[in-house]
Amino acid sequence: MRIKSSILVLVSVLLLVSLCPRPAGAAPYEGYTYSYWGDAVQSPIAYLPSRAISGLEAGTGVWTAPGDLFVSAEGLLYVLDSGNGRIVVLDKEWKTLRVIEGFRNGEKKDSFNNPEGLFVTDAGRIYVADTENRRLVELDGTGAFVREIGAPEADVIGAGFEYFPRKVIVDKAGRIYVVGRGVYEGLIEFDSDGQFTGFMGTNKVQFDPVDLFWKSVSTKEQREKMVQFIPLEFNNVDVDEDGFIYTTTVDKKTFSPVKRLNPSGIDVLRVSGEIPPIGDLSRDRSAFIDIDVTGNGVYRVLDSTRGRVFTYNEDGKLLYVIGQLGSQLGTFKNPAAVESYENAIYVLDRDLGRITEFTVTQFGSMVNEANTLYSSGKHDEAAKLWREVLKLDANYEMAYVGIGKSLLRQGEYKEAMTYLKLGNDREYYSKALGKYRREYMRDYFSLYMTGIIAVLLGGYVIVRLVKRPRKEGRVQDAVS
Amino acid sequence: MPFLKDIKYSLHVAVHPFDGFWDLKYENKGKLRMALGILMALTLTMIVKRQYVGYVVNYNHPLALNSINELKYIIFPFLLWCLANWSLTTLMDGEGKFGEIVITTGYALLPLILINIPNILLSNVITLREASFYHLLDALATLWFVWLLFIGTMTVHQYTVLKTITTMLLTLAVAGIIIFLGLLFFNLIQQIVSFVYTVYQELSLRG
Repeated sequence: MRIKSSILVLVSVLLLVSLCPRPAGAAPYEGYTYSYWGDAVQSPIAYLPSRAISGLEAGTGVWTAPGDLFVSAEGLLYVLDSGNGRIVVLDKEWKTLRVIEGFRNGEKKDSFNNPEGLFVTDAGRIYVADTENRRLVELDGTGAFVREIGAPEADVIGAGFEYFPRKVIVDKAGRIYVVGRGVYEGLIEFDSDGQFTGFMGTNKVQFDPVDLFWKSVSTKEQREKMVQFIPLEFNNVDVDEDGFIYTTTVDKKTFSPVKRLNPSGIDVLRVSGEIPPIGDLSRDRSAFIDIDVTGNGVYRVLDSTRGRVFTYNEDGKLLYVIGQLGSQLGTFKNPAAVESYENAIYVLDRDLGRITEFTVTQFGSMVNEANTLYSSGKHDEAAKLWREVLKLDANYEMAYVGIGKSLLRQGEYKEAMTYLKLGNDREYYSKALGKYRREYMRDYFSLYMTGIIAVLLGGYVIVRLVKRPRKEGRVQDAVS
Repeated sequence: MPFLKDIKYSLHVAVHPFDGFWDLKYENKGKLRMALGILMALTLTMIVKRQYVGYVVNYNHPLALNSINELKYIIFPFLLWCLANWSLTTLMDGEGKFGEIVITTGYALLPLILINIPNILLSNVITLREASFYHLLDALATLWFVWLLFIGTMTVHQYTVLKTITTMLLTLAVAGIIIFLGLLFFNLIQQIVSFVYTVYQELSLRG
């Protein structure tokens, strides 16, 4: 009887426990950021996986090794199903709108051959980097053929040049930039008519002093067998609303895997602080394979080493990290592309043929909003939100800096110093200290000066009083 | 008060090194306890400096601070210097005894305290733009210390200028050799201990 009732209690307890909802913060990955000292510190999770869709669920059949994803300005998802050579367009509710399997190129039917890159302009034109066909294809919104752009032709291009376009972007002026496979000269640039105009934004050659030493002591035959110093090729590209081009490079040694190229091809990425945007600060470094630029200079990079999405603000400060390699919802096997739209981040998994959507949490939206206000210079409004952020994450250094800057503008220098020190911002701390010092001196200068003069005078008088009797004593001694 | 007199004398050495070190050696004015006191005070100053130097110039990770480390960075190099200098100068016709070397080196450390304490206070009220004053004072302290050490070595061993410089450089090399030998020694001891332990284990498992 007793055993029976205890089992009953146990079962009911277990049932109750299983009925309880999982805690809201449960995610298949850890939230963290890096502190000023380069230590990983835990942080609330900014985005949680909400849903995922594969080709079967979309009703189009399995997506075979999809290579790229694009979210248009209206929120339509364009999936480049590379293995099947087609484009699948989903609407916001993830209903399949269209499937572009092929197109009429003049008289004959044409199709893609293992395309790797996709871009959709604001006007709805679809650009596809049709890799194995060695051309770019432009389609209109309905999937009808507009034009194709073949291999670049110019004297500067060597005879052995093999053209395999991998990624493509189009800027506001209609200029087309292409990332080619094995092209280390930089981005291939076409004008709006499809004429090749040149290469842009070459990565700098990196060399090791040790390699240089061995090269200088080896014979010519040995030298020829060695690896040549060639710049690394770009592997992905995105463009922001101001026409700056963001590129990524898979290189686990460089400290500038992300570049922000201005129209003349010079890297103008802003990096403030000690840690450049390089992803994880571990020995096995992150390898960036895609970049997505959202508004206000915030960009997200996708790391294939650990399957993480790192979000940086315009100063190159890490805001939050999401994702991981794994087999649950919200983790990836072989992530290939990242996109974001409003409050969601989409990650395309090449091996699983699946898109995962992450939606913003309370913490994430507060950080996003505070950062937006902060980067547009509205420090006081931002400070209110930063204080909320600190309630959820007392380790969030950017929040301390944000509040500190706001206090500095309000003239609360002493308090500003406290916050800027907590946020480890020496430059602004020093500014606050300078202002506080001036204020302090103005208030207390007269007091201290009076004190010093009083002490000096008093000391002088005492010395005189002490010295005089001795002299008299000595005089008396001499006389006697 | 003999203690006050000692302090006054150590200050005298810092500003009049030729005079001071001469008296230190030939008038027996240098005290070992004073030299060790200065060493202790310097260790304390450096601990305080690491923790309390103004934030603008303080790049120490607060979680990584460890006062025991100062023993490694100050007391150990001090002893190593004295030992290396003594072993070298006995071979190079130096007139200084080991005690004198310790006292001289100890007295030479005084400027590091004299400058660092006001410098710590100053660093708390300077901004990033004025940080170069802090670094200037820091460098001055080191230069003053090296100057005193130079004069001290020259006086204690009765060397010429050139010989003093060579000796000081050679002392650094000898210090390196001592460290090397020390590591070698400990490594060998470790090997022997582990060998004996393995033999013991073997025997005890078989028996």
